[in-house]
Amino acid sequence: MSTPNAIEVRDLTVAYREKPVLWDIDLTVPTGVLMAIVGPNGAGKTTIIKAMQSLLKPAAGQVRIFGKPYHEQRKLVGYVPQRGSVDWDFPTSVLDVVLMGRYGALGWIKRPRKDDRTLALEALKKVAMHDFADRQISQLSGGQQQRVFLARALVQQAELYFMDEPFQGVDAKTERAIIGILKELRSAGKTVVVVHHDLQTVPEYFDWVTLLNVRRIASGPVNDVFTEANLRAAYGGRVAFKSQSGLESAVEGEQVS
Amino acid sequence: MKLRVTLFIAFLATSMFFASCGKEAESPKSEQLNVVTTVGMITDITQRIGGDKVKVTGLMGAGVDPHTYKASEGDVARLSDADLILFNGLHLEGAMGDLLEQMGKSKKTVAVGESVPVDKRLAHADYENAYDPHVWFDVSLWKHVVDTVVFTLSKMDPDNAKLYGDNTAKLQARLDTLHAWVQEQAARVPEGQRVVITAHDAFNYFGRAYGFQVRGLQGISTAAEAGTADVQDLAAFIADNKIPSMFVESSVPTRSIEAVQAAVESRGFAVSIGGELFSDAMGDGGTHEGTYVGMVEHNVSTIVSALLGETPQEGSH
Amino acid sequence: MDLLAVLNDLVYDYTLRTVALGSALLGTVSGALGSFAVLRRQSMLGDAISHTALPGIALAFLITGSRLPLVLMAGAALAGWIGTLIVMYVVRNTRVKQDSALGMILAVFFGFGLVVLSYVQRLPSAGKAGLDKFLFGQASALMSRDVWTMFGVGLIAIIILVLFWKEFKLLSFDPEYGVSLGFKMRFVDILLTTLLVAAIVIGLQTVGVVLMSAMVVAPAAAARQWTDRLGVMVALSALFGALAGISGAVISSFMANLPTGPTIVLCISAIVVFSMLLAPNRGLAYNWLRTLRRKRQIQTDSVLLDLHELAAQHEDHRRPHSTATLQAMSRNPAAVARSLQELVERGLALEEKPELWTLTDQGESEAVVKLQDMGRTS
Repeated sequence: MSTPNAIEVRDLTVAYREKPVLWDIDLTVPTGVLMAIVGPNGAGKTTIIKAMQSLLKPAAGQVRIFGKPYHEQRKLVGYVPQRGSVDWDFPTSVLDVVLMGRYGALGWIKRPRKDDRTLALEALKKVAMHDFADRQISQLSGGQQQRVFLARALVQQAELYFMDEPFQGVDAKTERAIIGILKELRSAGKTVVVVHHDLQTVPEYFDWVTLLNVRRIASGPVNDVFTEANLRAAYGGRVAFKSQSGLESAVEGEQVS
Repeated sequence: MKLRVTLFIAFLATSMFFASCGKEAESPKSEQLNVVTTVGMITDITQRIGGDKVKVTGLMGAGVDPHTYKASEGDVARLSDADLILFNGLHLEGAMGDLLEQMGKSKKTVAVGESVPVDKRLAHADYENAYDPHVWFDVSLWKHVVDTVVFTLSKMDPDNAKLYGDNTAKLQARLDTLHAWVQEQAARVPEGQRVVITAHDAFNYFGRAYGFQVRGLQGISTAAEAGTADVQDLAAFIADNKIPSMFVESSVPTRSIEAVQAAVESRGFAVSIGGELFSDAMGDGGTHEGTYVGMVEHNVSTIVSALLGETPQEGSH
Repeated sequence: MDLLAVLNDLVYDYTLRTVALGSALLGTVSGALGSFAVLRRQSMLGDAISHTALPGIALAFLITGSRLPLVLMAGAALAGWIGTLIVMYVVRNTRVKQDSALGMILAVFFGFGLVVLSYVQRLPSAGKAGLDKFLFGQASALMSRDVWTMFGVGLIAIIILVLFWKEFKLLSFDPEYGVSLGFKMRFVDILLTTLLVAAIVIGLQTVGVVLMSAMVVAPAAAARQWTDRLGVMVALSALFGALAGISGAVISSFMANLPTGPTIVLCISAIVVFSMLLAPNRGLAYNWLRTLRRKRQIQTDSVLLDLHELAAQHEDHRRPHSTATLQAMSRNPAAVARSLQELVERGLALEEKPELWTLTDQGESEAVVKLQDMGRTS
C-alpha cells in the first residue's frame, strides 16, 4: 500500500431522532480526486461530510482519513461550510475571517502573526478578493462571501478539503473562478470533496462522483458511475435526461406527483 | 431522553404546586377568641390584655421588616380563620395593604395605630396626606392603642370584659412607669448631645416625645433604596456635628449604616455603632426584649449609654 | 451642577468615589462580556443568569446563615452557573430552542427564589441580611472592600477575555468551523459563560437581579451602532458601561432619594437611544437624512433632464422655459422651485428672466452624461 486512500468509510449510520439520515455507508475516496456528492434533498449529503469530520456523532460506523482516525488528522483537513451557516452581520473584516483558517495551526491562545497575515493575503489574492481585505463582511455579495470562505480553507494548507454547496446562489463568474481553484488543487495532488446541487455540471467539473440517498447508491469515476440507471436509483425517477453534444448529462426534473 | 426531561419538568411543576397548597391543620373551635396581629408590639399588648381568653397569633416575628413583609399563603389562611384582626395601619404594613382591606370587608379588622388622635400624629416626611406610622415609640401615644384594643376585645367578648379591664389597668400602670423612666433617662443626656442616627426614620415620635433630634438614612419606609446623596448628606451631618454614635436596627440591613460609617471616617471623624435598636420589630420571643416594655427599655438604655459613653443600664423596674 | 465640584467630589468624597468606582467596574466588565452574548444572539442569557442567581443568594443565606457578601455572591454564582448548564443541556437534548429554554429556566429559578425569600423573611435575622435588596441592588452601600472584590474578579475576567480572544471570536462567529479546526468549542462556550456569570454576580450588589440584564445587553447594543470591528465594539461597550456607571453614581449623589442602581440603568438606556438615533451609518437619524438627501438629488436630476428635453424639442435651444412649464412636467411640482435654485447654485442653470430658466453649457453636458448613465441616448 503506497499512499492510503484519502477517506475510508465503513458501515456509517447516522440517525436524527430515530430517523436514519445515513444508512450503512461504505465509501472509499482515493487521494487526488475532485469528487462531487449528489443526491436529492434530505439525502444526507451535508450530514455525510459533517460525519466524516466528526462534527456529529454517528450511530454506527467509522471513518479513516489517510488511514487514521479524524482527530489525529485534523491539520490535514480544510472545511468550507455552507454560506448560510454564519451571521454575516458579525463585526469583522474579510481578512479577519480568512485568518481564522490559521487558528488551527496556532493552537490555543496564540495570536496570528505577520506570516499568518501574509498567507491570508495570498489566499485572498488567489480568490481575487485581495482588494476587499479590510472590507466589512456584511458588505459582500453572495459570491464574494463564498470566495472568502474558500480562502479561509485554503489558508489551512490542507491535503483534503470538504465543501458544502459552494456554488449555491453564486454568480457565473465566481463559479468559474472557484472551480478553477478546485482543479488547481487537484493538480497539486489534493483531494477535494464537494456537496454539489447542480447535476448538469457534474461531468464538466468533477472526475469522481458519489450518488447518495440515505444509502450509498454508487461511487466512482464520473464516466463509470454517472449513468442513467444510477441517477434513477438515486432520484427515484425524478430525473429528466437530455443528450448534449454527445456527452450524457442529466437535470433534476420537477417532482412528478 | 426527551421523556426523562419532560418527566423531570413535570415533577418540578407538580411539587411546587403541592408545596404552595399546604394547609394548616384545622384548629378546634375553642372558647378563646382567635386574634391575628401583625407586628410584635401589637401582639404583645393584645396578649397581656386578653390573657388566656384570647389566642393571639402574630404574623411578623423578631427581626421582620413590616414595611416590605409580603403575606404568605399560610398567613392568608390564618387571617381568614381569625375572629379579629389587629394591625397598625398608617401604611406600616405596606405590602399587605390590599390584603388587609380585603379582610376588612368580611371580618372585624382594626387599624389600632389610627387610635392616635390626628392632632398628635406626625406628618409623613414625603407624602402630604400620610402620617408617620411608628407611633409605638412614644409610650404615651401607645396607651391610646391599648385603650382601643381593650375596647374592641370587650365589645366582641363582653363576658370577659371585666378581666380585660383589669389586665388593662395593670398594663397602663406599667406603661406610665415606663414613660416616666424614659423621660428620666433622656434627661441624663446633655442638650447638645441628643441626636439619634438610625437606619430609617422610625424614631420621629420618640424624638418628639423625649426631646431628641432624630435622623434616619432611609425614609419612613425601608422599601426605598438609600441613594448616594442620602449617604453623603448623613455622613456630612454626622461629621460636621461630631455625633459620636449611630445605631443599626434589627430588621434593616446593616450595610448601608456601615457605608455611612466609612464615609464619615473619610471625613476625618470616627463615629461608632452604638448598638442595635429594635425599630419595627421586637427582640426574640421569650426574652425581655421580646416584649413591648423590654423593647423600649433596651432601645433607651442603648441610646442613652452610647450617647453618654457608658455601659447600658438596667431597665425601669 | 458645577462640573468642577463634581470632579472634586469624585476624587475626594469617599462615598461618591466608592460608588462610582464600583459602578464603573460593573459597567466595564459587563459591557465587555455582554458584547459576546449579544453577538451570539444570547441577549436573554444575561437576564436568565441574573434571575437564576436569586435562589442561589437566598439558599446561601439559609444554609450558611452568613450574610457576608462573598458568601452570598458565591451562592449567586453557583446558581447562575447551574442554571446555564441546565439550559445548555435542555437545548442540546430536546427540541426546545434556546430562547424558550432560557425563558423557562429564568422563570422557574426566579419563582423558586421568591419562594425561598418569602420563607426567609420570617426568620429572625432575615431583615438584617437584606436579601430583597438584591432585587434592585444597593449601590450606595458599596464599601471599599466590595470594590476591591469587584476589581479582582473583573480583572481576572478581562485577562481571560484577552487571552482567549480569538477563541471567543471563533465561538461567536462560526463555532462549527472551530470544532473542525480542533478547538474544544464546548469548553470555550462554558468558559465564556462562566466569565459572564462572574460579571453578573459582581454587578448584583449594585443594580440588582432585575436590572442587571440591562447592563449586559445595552452597552453592547449601543457600541454596535458605532463600529464594524469587534475589538472596537468590545472596548466601546466597556466604555459605555463605565460611563453609565459613573453618571448614575454622580446623578444620584445630587438628588436625595434617587436610587443609584436604577439611575445607572437609565443612563445606559440614554446612551442606547442616542446611539440608535445618531450613530453614523447605522443610526436612524443618519439614515433618514441620507434618504432625504437622495430624494432631493433625484428631484433635482429630473428637473435638469426636463430642461434638457425642453431645449431639445425647440429649435432655439437657448429659449428659456417657465417655472410653470417645469412644474407641469414634474411629478412633484412643489419641489421644482428648490431644485431650480440648486441647479443655479451648481452652475447648471440660469434664471434669464424672472421665472424663466435655461441650462448652461455645463448643465447640458451634465444632462447628457446622466442620460447615458441611464442607458438612453439623447
